[in-house]
Amino acid sequence: MSAAAEPLEAPAGPFVHPALFYRDDQEYLEGTVPFVREGLAAGEPVAVAVPGDRLRMVRDALGDDADTVRLLDMREAGRNPGRIIPGVLRAFADSRPAGKRVRIIGEPIWAGRSATEYPACVQHEALINAAFQGRTATILCPYDAVRLPAHVLADAHATHPTVIPVGARPVRDSEAYAPDAVVARYNEPLPLVADAMTLPFTADSLPSARHAASDEGRRLGLTGVTLNDLALATAELTTNSVLHGGGSGVLRVWAEDGHVLCEVRDRGRMTDPLAGRRPASREQRGGRGLLMVNLIADLVRVHTGDEGTTIRCWFPR
Amino acid sequence: MGDHHRTPYGPGTPAPCLTVRPLEGGRGVRAAGEIGLATHTIWERVLEQAVREGEAVYYLELSEVTFVDVAGAGALAAAAERLGDGRRFVVRRPPPALSRVLDMFWPDLSTIEVSMS
Repeated sequence: MSAAAEPLEAPAGPFVHPALFYRDDQEYLEGTVPFVREGLAAGEPVAVAVPGDRLRMVRDALGDDADTVRLLDMREAGRNPGRIIPGVLRAFADSRPAGKRVRIIGEPIWAGRSATEYPACVQHEALINAAFQGRTATILCPYDAVRLPAHVLADAHATHPTVIPVGARPVRDSEAYAPDAVVARYNEPLPLVADAMTLPFTADSLPSARHAASDEGRRLGLTGVTLNDLALATAELTTNSVLHGGGSGVLRVWAEDGHVLCEVRDRGRMTDPLAGRRPASREQRGGRGLLMVNLIADLVRVHTGDEGTTIRCWFPR
Repeated sequence: MGDHHRTPYGPGTPAPCLTVRPLEGGRGVRAAGEIGLATHTIWERVLEQAVREGEAVYYLELSEVTFVDVAGAGALAAAAERLGDGRRFVVRRPPPALSRVLDMFWPDLSTIEVSMS
Protein backbone atom coordinates (compact mmCIF):
# COMPACT_ATOMS: atom_id res chain seq x y z
CA MET A 1 0.00 0.00 0.00
CA SER A 2 1.39 3.41 -0.83
CA ALA A 3 0.93 6.69 0.94
CA ALA A 4 -0.48 8.10 -2.27
CA ALA A 5 -3.58 5.98 -1.75
CA GLU A 6 -3.98 7.18 1.83
CA PRO A 7 -4.33 10.95 1.91
CA LEU A 8 -4.46 12.43 5.38
CA GLU A 9 -8.09 12.47 6.45
CA ALA A 10 -9.90 15.68 7.17
CA PRO A 11 -8.87 16.51 10.73
CA ALA A 12 -11.07 17.00 13.77
CA GLY A 13 -9.27 20.24 14.63
CA PRO A 14 -7.62 22.69 12.28
CA PHE A 15 -4.06 21.72 13.21
CA VAL A 16 -2.65 18.41 11.97
CA HIS A 17 0.81 17.26 13.03
CA PRO A 18 1.72 13.69 12.10
CA ALA A 19 5.11 11.99 12.42
CA LEU A 20 6.00 9.95 9.35
CA PHE A 21 8.36 7.02 9.94
CA TYR A 22 10.40 5.94 6.92
CA ARG A 23 13.04 3.27 6.37
CA ASP A 24 14.52 4.21 3.03
CA ASP A 25 14.43 6.72 0.18
CA GLN A 26 11.45 5.08 -1.47
CA GLU A 27 9.33 5.25 1.68
CA TYR A 28 10.48 8.83 2.16
CA LEU A 29 9.27 9.85 -1.28
CA GLU A 30 6.04 7.84 -0.95
CA GLY A 31 5.29 9.64 2.29
CA THR A 32 6.22 13.15 1.23
CA VAL A 33 5.68 13.70 -2.51
CA PRO A 34 1.96 12.79 -2.57
CA PHE A 35 1.51 14.97 0.53
CA VAL A 36 2.99 17.92 -1.36
CA ARG A 37 0.94 17.20 -4.50
CA GLU A 38 -2.32 16.93 -2.53
CA GLY A 39 -1.62 20.34 -1.09
CA LEU A 40 -0.82 21.87 -4.46
CA ALA A 41 -3.95 20.30 -5.96
CA ALA A 42 -6.02 21.88 -3.19
CA GLY A 43 -4.41 25.25 -3.83
CA GLU A 44 -2.63 25.22 -0.48
CA PRO A 45 0.71 26.93 0.05
CA VAL A 46 3.35 24.21 0.58
CA ALA A 47 6.81 24.36 2.15
CA VAL A 48 9.40 21.62 2.53
CA ALA A 49 12.06 22.17 5.21
CA VAL A 50 14.23 19.05 5.43
CA PRO A 51 17.99 18.29 5.40
CA GLY A 52 19.67 19.21 2.10
CA ASP A 53 20.16 15.68 0.73
CA ARG A 54 16.49 14.84 1.31
CA LEU A 55 15.44 18.22 -0.03
CA ARG A 56 17.17 17.51 -3.36
CA MET A 57 15.47 14.13 -3.53
CA VAL A 58 12.01 15.62 -2.97
CA ARG A 59 12.70 18.47 -5.39
CA ASP A 60 13.80 16.08 -8.14
CA ALA A 61 10.75 13.88 -7.58
CA LEU A 62 8.43 16.87 -7.78
CA GLY A 63 9.85 18.03 -11.09
CA ASP A 64 8.23 21.27 -12.26
CA ASP A 65 5.89 21.25 -9.25
CA ALA A 66 8.93 22.09 -7.10
CA ASP A 67 8.83 25.64 -8.50
CA THR A 68 5.67 26.41 -6.56
CA VAL A 69 6.93 24.92 -3.28
CA ARG A 70 9.03 26.79 -0.73
CA LEU A 71 12.17 24.67 -0.26
CA LEU A 72 14.46 25.14 2.74
CA ASP A 73 17.52 23.21 3.90
CA MET A 74 16.64 22.45 7.51
CA ARG A 75 20.33 21.99 8.39
CA GLU A 76 20.70 25.74 7.84
CA ALA A 77 17.25 27.23 8.47
CA GLY A 78 16.70 24.98 11.47
CA ARG A 79 20.22 24.53 12.76
CA ASN A 80 19.04 25.97 16.06
CA PRO A 81 15.78 24.10 16.82
CA GLY A 82 14.59 27.13 18.80
CA ARG A 83 14.25 29.19 15.63
CA ILE A 84 12.27 26.66 13.58
CA ILE A 85 8.85 27.74 14.88
CA PRO A 86 9.35 31.51 14.45
CA GLY A 87 11.82 31.47 11.55
CA VAL A 88 10.52 28.60 9.41
CA LEU A 89 7.08 27.27 10.32
CA ARG A 90 5.19 30.32 11.53
CA ALA A 91 7.19 32.57 9.17
CA PHE A 92 5.72 30.58 6.28
CA ALA A 93 2.24 30.01 7.72
CA ASP A 94 1.73 33.59 8.96
CA SER A 95 2.64 35.09 5.59
CA ARG A 96 -0.34 33.34 3.96
CA PRO A 97 -3.99 34.39 4.16
CA ALA A 98 -5.54 33.51 7.54
CA GLY A 99 -7.89 30.54 7.52
CA LYS A 100 -6.34 29.01 4.40
CA ARG A 101 -4.64 25.69 5.16
CA VAL A 102 -0.88 25.58 4.73
CA ARG A 103 1.13 22.39 4.40
CA ILE A 104 4.66 22.01 5.63
CA ILE A 105 7.06 19.10 5.74
CA GLY A 106 9.47 19.76 8.60
CA GLU A 107 12.30 17.39 9.48
CA PRO A 108 14.11 18.89 12.47
CA ILE A 109 15.64 15.67 13.79
CA TRP A 110 18.08 13.73 11.65
CA ALA A 111 20.73 11.14 12.41
CA GLY A 112 23.75 13.23 13.36
CA ARG A 113 21.98 15.69 15.65
CA SER A 114 24.22 15.63 18.74
CA ALA A 115 23.24 14.66 22.29
CA THR A 116 23.66 18.35 23.16
CA GLU A 117 21.24 19.43 20.45
CA TYR A 118 18.66 16.71 21.03
CA PRO A 119 16.83 18.11 24.09
CA ALA A 120 16.27 21.37 22.19
CA CYS A 121 15.10 19.40 19.13
CA VAL A 122 12.54 17.32 20.97
CA GLN A 123 11.26 20.29 22.98
CA HIS A 124 10.81 22.11 19.69
CA GLU A 125 8.75 19.24 18.28
CA ALA A 126 6.56 19.23 21.39
CA LEU A 127 6.06 23.00 21.32
CA ILE A 128 4.89 23.05 17.70
CA ASN A 129 1.53 21.83 19.02
CA ALA A 130 1.11 24.86 21.29
CA ALA A 131 2.48 27.28 18.71
CA PHE A 132 -0.08 26.11 16.12
CA GLN A 133 -3.03 25.46 18.40
CA GLY A 134 -6.20 26.48 16.57
CA ARG A 135 -4.33 27.29 13.37
CA THR A 136 -5.24 25.82 10.02
CA ALA A 137 -2.06 23.97 9.12
CA THR A 138 -0.69 20.51 8.45
CA ILE A 139 2.91 19.85 9.46
CA LEU A 140 4.31 16.45 8.52
CA CYS A 141 7.52 15.45 10.31
CA PRO A 142 9.57 12.63 8.76
CA TYR A 143 11.65 10.39 11.07
CA ASP A 144 14.37 8.05 9.88
CA ALA A 145 13.23 4.80 11.50
CA VAL A 146 16.49 3.01 10.63
CA ARG A 147 19.18 5.47 11.66
CA LEU A 148 17.59 7.32 14.60
CA PRO A 149 17.95 5.71 18.05
CA ALA A 150 14.96 4.00 19.68
CA HIS A 151 14.42 6.71 22.31
CA VAL A 152 14.16 9.35 19.58
CA LEU A 153 11.54 7.32 17.74
CA ALA A 154 9.66 6.79 21.00
CA ASP A 155 9.74 10.53 21.74
CA ALA A 156 8.27 11.23 18.30
CA HIS A 157 5.16 9.35 19.43
CA ALA A 158 4.92 11.67 22.44
CA THR A 159 5.40 14.90 20.46
CA HIS A 160 2.97 14.10 17.62
CA PRO A 161 -0.79 13.69 18.09
CA THR A 162 -0.84 11.35 15.08
CA VAL A 163 1.67 8.98 13.51
CA ILE A 164 2.16 7.23 10.18
CA PRO A 165 4.03 4.01 10.99
CA VAL A 166 6.64 2.48 8.69
CA GLY A 167 5.23 0.86 5.59
CA ALA A 168 2.99 3.88 4.97
CA ARG A 169 -0.04 2.46 6.68
CA PRO A 170 -2.80 5.00 7.33
CA VAL A 171 -2.34 7.80 9.79
CA ARG A 172 -3.50 6.95 13.30
CA ASP A 173 -3.73 8.63 16.69
CA SER A 174 -0.64 8.40 18.85
CA GLU A 175 -1.53 6.87 22.20
CA ALA A 176 1.72 8.14 23.69
CA TYR A 177 1.00 11.78 22.81
CA ALA A 178 2.12 13.93 25.78
CA PRO A 179 3.88 17.09 24.58
CA ASP A 180 3.93 18.90 27.95
CA ALA A 181 5.61 15.91 29.59
CA VAL A 182 8.30 15.97 26.89
CA VAL A 183 8.98 19.67 27.42
CA ALA A 184 9.33 19.00 31.17
CA ARG A 185 11.43 15.84 30.81
CA TYR A 186 13.98 17.55 28.54
CA ASN A 187 14.22 20.62 30.76
CA GLU A 188 17.61 19.21 31.71
CA PRO A 189 20.03 20.92 34.11
CA LEU A 190 23.05 22.58 32.48
CA PRO A 191 25.92 21.84 34.86
CA LEU A 192 28.43 24.55 35.66
CA VAL A 193 31.47 24.54 33.42
CA ALA A 194 34.92 24.95 34.92
CA ASP A 195 37.42 27.39 33.44
CA ALA A 196 34.90 29.77 31.92
CA MET A 197 35.24 33.54 31.95
CA THR A 198 32.79 34.37 34.77
CA LEU A 199 31.25 37.73 35.55
CA PRO A 200 28.36 38.56 37.88
CA PHE A 201 26.29 41.51 36.65
CA THR A 202 23.52 43.88 37.69
CA ALA A 203 21.75 46.72 35.87
CA ASP A 204 24.76 49.01 36.32
CA SER A 205 27.20 46.57 34.78
CA LEU A 206 25.25 45.47 31.69
CA PRO A 207 27.65 47.26 29.32
CA SER A 208 30.69 45.78 31.11
CA ALA A 209 29.20 42.31 30.79
CA ARG A 210 28.72 42.79 27.07
CA HIS A 211 32.27 44.10 26.64
CA ALA A 212 33.67 41.20 28.66
CA ALA A 213 31.81 38.69 26.47
CA SER A 214 33.09 40.42 23.34
CA ASP A 215 36.68 40.45 24.57
CA GLU A 216 36.54 36.80 25.52
CA GLY A 217 34.79 35.85 22.26
CA ARG A 218 37.50 37.62 20.28
CA ARG A 219 40.23 35.92 22.31
CA LEU A 220 38.58 32.55 21.62
CA GLY A 221 38.56 33.16 17.88
CA LEU A 222 35.26 34.81 16.97
CA THR A 223 35.34 37.55 14.35
CA GLY A 224 32.97 39.69 12.29
CA VAL A 225 29.25 39.02 12.34
CA THR A 226 29.55 36.14 14.79
CA LEU A 227 31.46 38.23 17.30
CA ASN A 228 28.82 40.94 17.02
CA ASP A 229 26.11 38.31 17.45
CA LEU A 230 27.75 37.10 20.65
CA ALA A 231 27.67 40.68 21.98
CA LEU A 232 24.03 41.09 20.96
CA ALA A 233 22.98 37.80 22.56
CA THR A 234 24.87 38.67 25.73
CA ALA A 235 23.15 42.06 25.89
CA GLU A 236 19.69 40.53 25.45
CA LEU A 237 20.17 37.69 27.94
CA THR A 238 21.74 39.87 30.63
CA THR A 239 19.09 42.57 30.17
CA ASN A 240 16.39 39.92 30.53
CA SER A 241 17.97 38.82 33.82
CA VAL A 242 17.89 42.39 35.09
CA LEU A 243 14.28 42.94 34.00
CA HIS A 244 12.72 39.52 34.59
CA GLY A 245 15.25 37.32 36.37
CA GLY A 246 15.65 38.90 39.77
CA GLY A 247 17.72 41.93 38.77
CA SER A 248 21.10 40.24 38.45
CA GLY A 249 22.85 37.19 37.09
CA VAL A 250 26.13 35.55 36.20
CA LEU A 251 27.60 35.57 32.70
CA ARG A 252 29.99 32.87 31.53
CA VAL A 253 31.82 32.56 28.20
CA TRP A 254 34.00 29.65 27.07
CA ALA A 255 34.94 27.55 24.05
CA GLU A 256 33.95 23.97 23.28
CA ASP A 257 35.11 22.31 20.06
CA GLY A 258 34.03 24.51 17.18
CA HIS A 259 31.89 26.88 19.21
CA VAL A 260 32.10 29.73 21.66
CA LEU A 261 29.40 29.40 24.32
CA CYS A 262 27.73 32.17 26.23
CA GLU A 263 25.66 31.37 29.30
CA VAL A 264 23.56 33.52 31.61
CA ARG A 265 22.23 32.27 34.95
CA ASP A 266 19.73 34.15 37.05
CA ARG A 267 17.13 33.65 39.78
CA GLY A 268 14.09 33.96 37.55
CA ARG A 269 11.83 31.22 36.32
CA MET A 270 10.58 31.09 32.75
CA THR A 271 6.90 30.30 32.86
CA ASP A 272 6.16 30.65 29.14
CA PRO A 273 7.54 27.69 27.18
CA LEU A 274 6.99 29.57 23.92
CA ALA A 275 9.10 32.56 25.00
CA GLY A 276 11.47 33.41 22.15
CA ARG A 277 9.58 31.17 19.72
CA ARG A 278 6.66 33.37 18.73
CA PRO A 279 7.24 35.43 15.63
CA ALA A 280 7.13 39.12 16.52
CA SER A 281 4.25 41.06 15.05
CA ARG A 282 5.24 44.23 13.27
CA GLU A 283 3.42 46.41 15.79
CA GLN A 284 4.76 44.66 18.88
CA ARG A 285 7.02 47.04 20.82
CA GLY A 286 9.23 44.86 22.98
CA GLY A 287 9.76 41.19 23.70
CA ARG A 288 12.08 40.36 20.80
CA GLY A 289 15.28 39.72 22.79
CA LEU A 290 15.08 35.97 23.25
CA LEU A 291 13.67 35.59 19.74
CA MET A 292 16.72 37.40 18.40
CA VAL A 293 19.00 35.04 20.33
CA ASN A 294 17.17 32.06 18.80
CA LEU A 295 17.53 33.52 15.33
CA ILE A 296 21.28 34.18 15.51
CA ALA A 297 22.68 31.33 17.62
CA ASP A 298 23.56 27.86 16.30
CA LEU A 299 21.93 26.31 19.35
CA VAL A 300 20.11 27.57 22.45
CA ARG A 301 19.55 25.39 25.49
CA VAL A 302 17.42 26.43 28.44
CA HIS A 303 16.99 25.02 31.92
CA THR A 304 14.43 26.66 34.16
CA GLY A 305 13.03 25.82 37.56
CA ASP A 306 12.40 27.11 41.07
CA GLU A 307 16.13 27.58 41.61
CA GLY A 308 16.51 29.84 38.57
CA THR A 309 17.05 29.89 34.84
CA THR A 310 20.11 29.09 32.74
CA ILE A 311 20.25 29.96 29.05
CA ARG A 312 23.23 28.77 27.07
CA CYS A 313 23.90 29.61 23.43
CA TRP A 314 26.42 28.44 20.85
CA PHE A 315 28.23 30.53 18.22
CA PRO A 316 30.45 28.94 15.56
CA ARG A 317 34.13 29.91 15.45
CA MET B 1 15.33 74.66 14.55
CA GLY B 2 13.87 72.74 17.46
CA ASP B 3 14.80 72.68 21.08
CA HIS B 4 17.70 70.27 20.76
CA HIS B 5 19.91 70.16 23.77
CA ARG B 6 22.53 68.04 25.36
CA THR B 7 20.53 65.39 27.12
CA PRO B 8 21.49 64.57 30.67
CA TYR B 9 21.68 60.91 31.47
CA GLY B 10 21.61 58.57 34.41
CA PRO B 11 21.80 59.64 38.04
CA GLY B 12 25.47 59.72 38.89
CA THR B 13 26.79 56.63 37.09
CA PRO B 14 29.67 57.33 34.68
CA ALA B 15 28.51 54.68 32.21
CA PRO B 16 26.46 53.65 30.34
CA CYS B 17 25.53 56.91 28.72
CA LEU B 18 24.09 58.44 25.65
CA THR B 19 24.65 62.02 24.63
CA VAL B 20 22.74 63.71 21.86
CA ARG B 21 23.39 67.04 20.20
CA PRO B 22 21.99 68.74 17.10
CA LEU B 23 23.69 68.14 13.79
CA GLU B 24 25.51 71.10 12.36
CA GLY B 25 23.08 72.60 9.88
CA GLY B 26 20.08 71.06 11.58
CA ARG B 27 17.73 68.36 10.29
CA GLY B 28 18.94 65.76 12.72
CA VAL B 29 21.04 64.73 15.69
CA ARG B 30 24.40 63.21 16.42
CA ALA B 31 24.35 60.62 19.18
CA ALA B 32 27.29 59.19 21.09
CA GLY B 33 27.49 56.39 23.62
CA GLU B 34 25.31 53.32 23.64
CA ILE B 35 21.64 52.44 23.50
CA GLY B 36 20.64 49.87 26.09
CA LEU B 37 18.53 49.43 29.19
CA ALA B 38 19.99 52.51 30.92
CA THR B 39 19.52 54.80 27.95
CA HIS B 40 16.26 53.67 26.33
CA THR B 41 14.36 56.58 27.87
CA ILE B 42 16.74 59.15 26.37
CA TRP B 43 16.69 57.40 23.00
CA GLU B 44 12.90 57.26 22.91
CA ARG B 45 12.74 60.96 23.75
CA VAL B 46 15.12 61.71 20.89
CA LEU B 47 12.94 59.69 18.52
CA GLU B 48 9.72 61.35 19.74
CA GLN B 49 11.29 64.69 19.01
CA ALA B 50 12.47 63.49 15.60
CA VAL B 51 8.94 62.43 14.63
CA ARG B 52 7.53 65.76 15.83
CA GLU B 53 10.11 67.85 13.89
CA GLY B 54 8.25 67.18 10.66
CA GLU B 55 11.38 67.18 8.46
CA ALA B 56 11.08 65.20 5.23
CA VAL B 57 14.52 63.71 5.91
CA TYR B 58 15.78 63.48 9.47
CA TYR B 59 19.37 62.40 10.06
CA LEU B 60 20.42 60.19 12.94
CA GLU B 61 24.22 60.29 12.94
CA LEU B 62 25.25 57.21 14.95
CA SER B 63 28.94 56.80 14.13
CA GLU B 64 29.82 57.40 17.77
CA VAL B 65 27.19 55.00 19.08
CA THR B 66 28.96 51.77 19.99
CA PHE B 67 25.94 49.51 20.52
CA VAL B 68 22.17 49.37 20.06
CA ASP B 69 20.17 46.54 21.62
CA VAL B 70 17.03 44.94 20.21
CA ALA B 71 14.67 47.19 22.20
CA GLY B 72 16.59 50.27 20.97
CA ALA B 73 16.22 49.10 17.38
CA GLY B 74 12.53 48.42 18.06
CA ALA B 75 12.02 51.98 19.31
CA LEU B 76 13.62 53.31 16.12
CA ALA B 77 11.39 51.10 13.94
CA ALA B 78 8.28 52.15 15.87
CA ALA B 79 9.16 55.82 15.45
CA ALA B 80 9.89 55.32 11.74
CA GLU B 81 6.49 53.72 11.27
CA ARG B 82 4.87 56.86 12.65
CA LEU B 83 6.51 59.05 9.99
CA GLY B 84 3.94 60.10 7.45
CA ASP B 85 4.12 59.79 3.68
CA GLY B 86 7.28 61.10 2.08
CA ARG B 87 9.25 61.28 5.30
CA ARG B 88 12.16 59.12 6.39
CA PHE B 89 15.01 58.69 8.82
CA VAL B 90 18.50 58.47 7.43
CA VAL B 91 20.57 56.47 9.92
CA ARG B 92 24.24 57.21 9.35
CA ARG B 93 26.99 54.74 10.19
CA PRO B 94 25.11 52.73 12.83
CA PRO B 95 26.89 50.06 14.87
CA PRO B 96 26.62 46.53 13.42
CA ALA B 97 24.06 45.41 16.01
CA LEU B 98 21.50 47.96 14.78
CA SER B 99 21.78 46.91 11.13
CA ARG B 100 21.61 43.26 12.16
CA VAL B 101 18.40 43.72 14.14
CA LEU B 102 16.74 45.94 11.53
CA ASP B 103 17.55 43.37 8.82
CA MET B 104 16.13 40.61 10.98
CA PHE B 105 12.84 42.21 12.05
CA TRP B 106 12.16 45.18 9.75
CA PRO B 107 13.87 44.34 6.45
CA ASP B 108 11.43 46.29 4.30
CA LEU B 109 10.83 49.36 6.42
CA SER B 110 10.90 52.09 3.78
CA THR B 111 11.04 54.97 6.25
CA ILE B 112 14.52 53.99 7.47
CA GLU B 113 17.49 54.40 5.19
CA VAL B 114 20.80 53.12 6.51
CA SER B 115 23.75 55.02 5.13
CA MET B 116 27.33 53.94 5.74
CA SER B 117 28.81 57.23 4.50
